[in-house]
Amino acid sequence: MSRRTPGYSIERKKSRWGWIFVTPTLIFFLLFSFYPIFNAFYTSLFNKKLLSLKPPAFIGLGNYSYLLKSPDFWDSIRATLVFTLGTFTPLLIFSLIFAIFIMSRKRFQNFFQIAYYSPAVLSSVVAAVIWLLIFDPRGLGNQWLNLMMNTPGIDHKWLANSVMVQMSTMLVYFWKYVGYFTIIFIVGLASIPQSIYEAAKIDGANDWKNFWYITLPLLKPTTILVSIISMLQCLRTFSTQYLFTQGGAPLAPINVITLNIYHTAIRDHQIGRASAMSIILFVIMMLFTWVQFKSSRADEISY
Amino acid sequence: MDYDLTIKKNRIFNQSLIIDIFIWAFLILAALFILAPTIFMFTASLMPANDILKMPYRWIPKGFYWRNYWQGIRGNDGSFIYIRNILNSLIVASVVSATTVILSALAGFGLAKYYFKGRNLVFMMIMATMMIPFEAIMIPLYLVTTKLGIQDSYAGLIAPFLVNAFGVFLMRQYFITFPDEILDAARIDGASELMIFRTIILPNSIPAVATLAILTFKAQWDNLLWPLLVVQSEEMKTIPLYIVKFMSEKHTDEGAMMAVAAIASIPILMVFFKLSKYFLGGAALYSSRKG
Repeated sequence: MSRRTPGYSIERKKSRWGWIFVTPTLIFFLLFSFYPIFNAFYTSLFNKKLLSLKPPAFIGLGNYSYLLKSPDFWDSIRATLVFTLGTFTPLLIFSLIFAIFIMSRKRFQNFFQIAYYSPAVLSSVVAAVIWLLIFDPRGLGNQWLNLMMNTPGIDHKWLANSVMVQMSTMLVYFWKYVGYFTIIFIVGLASIPQSIYEAAKIDGANDWKNFWYITLPLLKPTTILVSIISMLQCLRTFSTQYLFTQGGAPLAPINVITLNIYHTAIRDHQIGRASAMSIILFVIMMLFTWVQFKSSRADEISY
Repeated sequence: MDYDLTIKKNRIFNQSLIIDIFIWAFLILAALFILAPTIFMFTASLMPANDILKMPYRWIPKGFYWRNYWQGIRGNDGSFIYIRNILNSLIVASVVSATTVILSALAGFGLAKYYFKGRNLVFMMIMATMMIPFEAIMIPLYLVTTKLGIQDSYAGLIAPFLVNAFGVFLMRQYFITFPDEILDAARIDGASELMIFRTIILPNSIPAVATLAILTFKAQWDNLLWPLLVVQSEEMKTIPLYIVKFMSEKHTDEGAMMAVAAIASIPILMVFFKLSKYFLGGAALYSSRKG
């Protein structure tokens, strides 16, 4: 055996250990992420049924063309997009307001952060069960809304009316996650150097101008981040809608894609069709992310 | 001129006082709205069902109606299966947290501190899995689980969550700033790479490990979709499945329902109030995702 220079052998040894450290994780992702997504795409090209012994027939894009013609599927797309936009917009606006207001306080910052974040800790099943009871015709939801709108004794049909049930799911989601995004905004706000505000103060800017011309533009990266995370989360919503339908709410208005995939695969045994839906959901999520990254690339910020 | 100034001063003072009061009121009202449902759950869990849906709602229960908790734990059929289901949730969440921390730390360490061919590709591949939503791959995973015969078992509940890309990313970010000199010094002293990992890296990454462990535990405690697919028997159900079942049973009363929900929430809320900085830090970590 020839003698190697020590540096060379250490580098080789290090490179081998690098591989040893990442291999278990890499194998896991190959088996549990990459294989399934390719498998989902492959299965989506077949007329595969759960529990069927016949080998599934290859039908090409048949599942996709079926879905694109199916009003049920378009209802799911609509329900998902309505939920996503209807939840994401107030989430973004209110978490930003909460963050700015909390940061403007000299005391109780911790209390508000913990209080606002606390619903995110509860499991989504628990959240749905609590709100189902609040939305009961005799429950707190009607009491509060009647108190606020001064309309005693009216039932607002939180779960029965098809518009209201969509609003209800949005409200649950908003309540659960607004604190989470508030925290992300607080971190973003804290990273804006104080010196910029001081310079603006010398130039005679007031609070309002500070907000419009300094805070908001510099917060753009955080805003984009929050938009991406919250939109992707909303597109994947499942628990709230599932629990609500189990609790007696009508399925059609809140039949989001994930719920539809679940029903198609487990109740209808249409594995091929469910896989096609999964791939469409995957593509929609990629598109959302791509569009938002695209819009964020334009101007990077450095202090 | 003097006069003008005082007016101006006064106006600014007044204005900011009004704004100040407005901000306080806004924050307090929002806090009430956000806290109310959780408080509602706990107070309602201590009331007979008749009182819960009485208008107006009494925020302070008259007495402690512990029967709800007994009823919730006992179940409508008296099988006490909830205790087993809580145990299942604890086992699954603990095992997943442990494997996630270990595998993420190993991979994160490998990616942060070792140079090898294809390192960037490996990192990109792992990050790319963040883009694959679980909902899109759950059907193939379910089919594989059935084929392997591990549906309705701990192995089936745990397998798809052994590690996740966010964990690898978090650990890598944490290790990247770790000084190389310390590692090299240990190597010169004859420490093996595994020993370095165990005795130097892990003990020095407690905050990252704790954050990751807590976030993973919480996510599993919350998991509904996957158990819904793979679990068939009552014995293998986790807490979310028990809640779904308990809710859809005919004889369930609202008080017992809230007691079941409260039992599911108490452990995680206690951890949260004790270790809130790790929860908040976990949320904050996302902001550093770009860097």
